[in-house]
Amino acid sequence: MNSPGTEISELLARTALRDRAAFRTLYGRTSAKLFGVVLRILRDRSEAEEALQEVYVKIWQRADRYVAGSYSPISWLVAVARNHCLDRLRARKPLADELDAALEVADKAPDPEQSAVAGSERSRIETCLGALDADKADAVRGAYLDGYSYDELAERHSVPLNTMRTWLRRSLLKLRECLSA
Amino acid sequence: MSTQGHESDGSGEDKVLVGEYALGLLDAAEHERMARRIAAEPALRAELQLWRSQLSGLDAEFREEPPPPRVLEQLEARLFGTAARHRSGLWDSLALWRSLAAGGIAVAAVAVGFNVMQPPPIDPTQFATQLVAAIKAQEGFGVEFVALYNAATGEVRLTGLSGQAIPDKDYELWYIKGDEPAVSMGVIPVDQRSEIELDPQARSKFAPGTVLAVTLEQKGGSPTGVAQGPVVALGTATPI
Repeated sequence: MNSPGTEISELLARTALRDRAAFRTLYGRTSAKLFGVVLRILRDRSEAEEALQEVYVKIWQRADRYVAGSYSPISWLVAVARNHCLDRLRARKPLADELDAALEVADKAPDPEQSAVAGSERSRIETCLGALDADKADAVRGAYLDGYSYDELAERHSVPLNTMRTWLRRSLLKLRECLSA
Repeated sequence: MSTQGHESDGSGEDKVLVGEYALGLLDAAEHERMARRIAAEPALRAELQLWRSQLSGLDAEFREEPPPPRVLEQLEARLFGTAARHRSGLWDSLALWRSLAAGGIAVAAVAVGFNVMQPPPIDPTQFATQLVAAIKAQEGFGVEFVALYNAATGEVRLTGLSGQAIPDKDYELWYIKGDEPAVSMGVIPVDQRSEIELDPQARSKFAPGTVLAVTLEQKGGSPTGVAQGPVVALGTATPI
């Protein structure tokens, strides 16, 4: 009941009750983290400030949608911030060239759905990324932490776009197998 | 060419697609298409949940950076000031919200089943004006309710699914509409069914999206009309 996660969870619940003081406290506790997220992905301070506002507007409006236990509350908040930034990035991009969703990816035996044991996610994802080639793990991190698109990843790794797609899709399959192993 | 069926078959193809979706690598059209599939296919929702919870293990790498104070000022002016409220972009993360709400859907289904067992309504159009809310337990509390609102009678029927009474405390039910503060609907028993008749003002507030919350209060409920105790359960009304 006294872990920081529980406290944020309670502040979220209070926010859903339209408790403005709780919302302000929630902002105080979490805004540095979420600003770190939007700043890193949007890479522009004034845009990040605007996006942060929009993120907290969403949190205010949607606090009741946080389902305790399914996700740590701070991860949920980070996901709201991250997805908001990605929506912004997608909206400002011209319609990207058509993605061939039918790229061949080897289909291994289906894994049973397994949820991760709470708290073990960090080591699990780190371990599984560690099992990939370093540059491929780097590309996955870049997509998650920096919001890089396939175009940007291809440029950063100096490979053609389609090569990057094939790489990353294969890496994701490997990663997925490892994550539920 | 691999086949792209309408239903997920748990294939590696779908797992990779959901992974790309979670990472944000799909372009706008693909992303939108995937969001619709995820909303429709529980297997993909579970897959998305797995990716997101696993990837969130990287969240520690986002370095904290305090935003300038003006952000909070502008935010509060925007939300609580007199300026017009911004509602655009509300549905941007539809898939996320849906995946998070997925847990509630099962309980709602139970409620519908429960409702069917009640004496049949005289007027079949009543079905169109019923709302259900799965009031799910908050972390650390095992209290869950299903609320069923019948607009024809203005009555909320409440069934406790789990939880127990606590000595010298009472559970209090609240509704929250839009940005207005929570309004008490009174103290509720946790271990038996109860019915609450809403006054006309409350009836006018009950609509899809109205939030119901249960707090743990001193005996007899909060004396101030404002919730004081912890929020033990929360849910949103949806039409059935």
